[in-house]
Amino acid sequence: MPPRRGDAEKQLIFIMAASDAHFYVGSIFGSKQMPLRLCVSAVVLVALACSPIDAQQIGTLEINGRVKIDGKQERLKRKRFYLFRGGLTANKALIDRIGAAEFVSRDCFYCRMNASPEFRAWLKAEDCESPFCRRVSAEDVARVPEFKAAVEKGTVQLGRRPSLAQDWLTTNLTPGLRDGFYLQRKSAIEKILAGLKPLQTGMTDSVSVKAIFIDIPVAPPTGKATETFLITNLAPFEIGTKSYTWACEVEIGADKKAVRSLPVPEPGKRADRCELFVRDIPVCDAQGCTAK
Amino acid sequence: MTRRSATIFAIIFGVVFAANFLPRSSAQQRDRFSHATASHKKIECASCHKMPTSNWVAARGYPDVAQFPGHAACASCHRRDFFVGNKPAFCAGCHTSATPRSAPLFPFPVRTRSHEFSIKFPHSVHQDVIASTKKTPPVAVAHFVNARFTRLPDDPPSFNNCAICHDSTKALPKFAARVPTEHKALVAPDAENFTPVAAFFKSMPSGHASCFQCHYQGVKPAAVNCAGCHQLTSPYMASPVVKRYSLKFSHDAVNEKGDKVHTRDCMTCHVRIAGNGDLKTLKDADVPIMTCTACHNHAGDLKKELDSRADSIDKKTPIFQCTYCHTTNVGAYPVPASHEKQ
Repeated sequence: MPPRRGDAEKQLIFIMAASDAHFYVGSIFGSKQMPLRLCVSAVVLVALACSPIDAQQIGTLEINGRVKIDGKQERLKRKRFYLFRGGLTANKALIDRIGAAEFVSRDCFYCRMNASPEFRAWLKAEDCESPFCRRVSAEDVARVPEFKAAVEKGTVQLGRRPSLAQDWLTTNLTPGLRDGFYLQRKSAIEKILAGLKPLQTGMTDSVSVKAIFIDIPVAPPTGKATETFLITNLAPFEIGTKSYTWACEVEIGADKKAVRSLPVPEPGKRADRCELFVRDIPVCDAQGCTAK
Repeated sequence: MTRRSATIFAIIFGVVFAANFLPRSSAQQRDRFSHATASHKKIECASCHKMPTSNWVAARGYPDVAQFPGHAACASCHRRDFFVGNKPAFCAGCHTSATPRSAPLFPFPVRTRSHEFSIKFPHSVHQDVIASTKKTPPVAVAHFVNARFTRLPDDPPSFNNCAICHDSTKALPKFAARVPTEHKALVAPDAENFTPVAAFFKSMPSGHASCFQCHYQGVKPAAVNCAGCHQLTSPYMASPVVKRYSLKFSHDAVNEKGDKVHTRDCMTCHVRIAGNGDLKTLKDADVPIMTCTACHNHAGDLKKELDSRADSIDKKTPIFQCTYCHTTNVGAYPVPASHEKQ
């Protein structure tokens, strides 16, 4: 077997550390007490060889946010995932709560908040969940009544500075429109978690559409190289006319990066090692905010 | 009056006069205000600090706490401390010179003094709020009547992202190599003459401007709730030096055609930022090597450096110092296990 790259360097560091330790121990006990000096040096060397870095196994997980739904590839950009220790069985109570949870869709939420059709169109245009999503332009202020009212209020409050009022527009929006959707999602997620703390959370980025989890402490059971974990989004992602919540098992080991994709099986079929909750997004429109 | 009575009177007068100069409270001896005293810790921030202060227009251009609290805030407890001697040390907490006459105030806050508060900032929450599904701008919509808010590709929407707070720096900050502390360098580093430029770095907020854009009122913690973000801690001096393991990394690097190279989402490399709920646990920029090698995995970069290091040790030639990403004061250190895993 060829020597691993870096073995020579480790050997060099080891020799450096050992000679340092030997020097210090030698200076403590003096050169006349050679047997004791050798014993202590041996203990130091053994301790160095069994460093805690080797004892703790850590793993890496990559979630692929490219999902194929009805033959079309969707990219789950900037979406949050939660990592839990244990598989589907160990996390059954959590998965039951995920399945039972009720979320209000974005459209229905803002409809119930009496948001104007223009405000809802502004959100929908770039698939935004809140007014914090993107910069509100002067044209947006002219078109959306809520933005216009907020800027007018801010201009009076902020010493007749319309540009500052526009930059700080969200501070003068009504609470429901401002952060109501985020807060109700947060509250629903806390209810699902019921005090359970995820091991880690992470998000997919907007370009590679991957979420990377690093430094995952892994403790594989005897005879196995990997440990079973659960990855889930807890709150449903709205894609097209449906919402999707995944809870999938993933095997993570210390040797190589684990990669997990999010399957969407055909209707009636079951995804491998996954619980997938697919729901129709209720339709809320100008005619009524009650889900149809 | 007898001579003896006059002497006694003079002594009593002298003692009373001298006693007037003795400190009545520890505040008289202190030329710095401390938020950490037992008495100050009991009172609400807003009982002294007004939000906004009257000078906000000139000082900041946006409503902010831009000045020390007025005399009235101190006077309820420290009235007598104002009038101790010709140069009451107490005044020097806010004024440039200790004198009963009106002396100019220090600029607020005094940047040269130690900080008493740490900042509570959850990146995770902010990523959730600004996280939106960035849709690819639609193609070939020009021939249709655009009845929605969809924009044309040449007018991309300005999504809120990390750049709200972290922009490219305009001036070169003080910088230094972040030298590993858990190991010793294998050899003395070679001479290094590399100097980064301003565009290599990103800025971070140093005031309330970016915070108040959303938190001025309404969104909690609002501007009047100082303790919502500021947490009393042991005094410390904030270092202005930006420390990096990879000083040679430029956020704004361009290729030979002049196109930007690092154009991905910030979270593509700062992978843990979306999970970080406490700024204090964020020790550095926290970019794992695996995010670099996702692109820099060619023969000319990391692999070549690792091979050269191993060869130099095997052949007992002078230790190869890694220079592709690092300056030699970092490149002379042992290769971390994370690099070997790639």
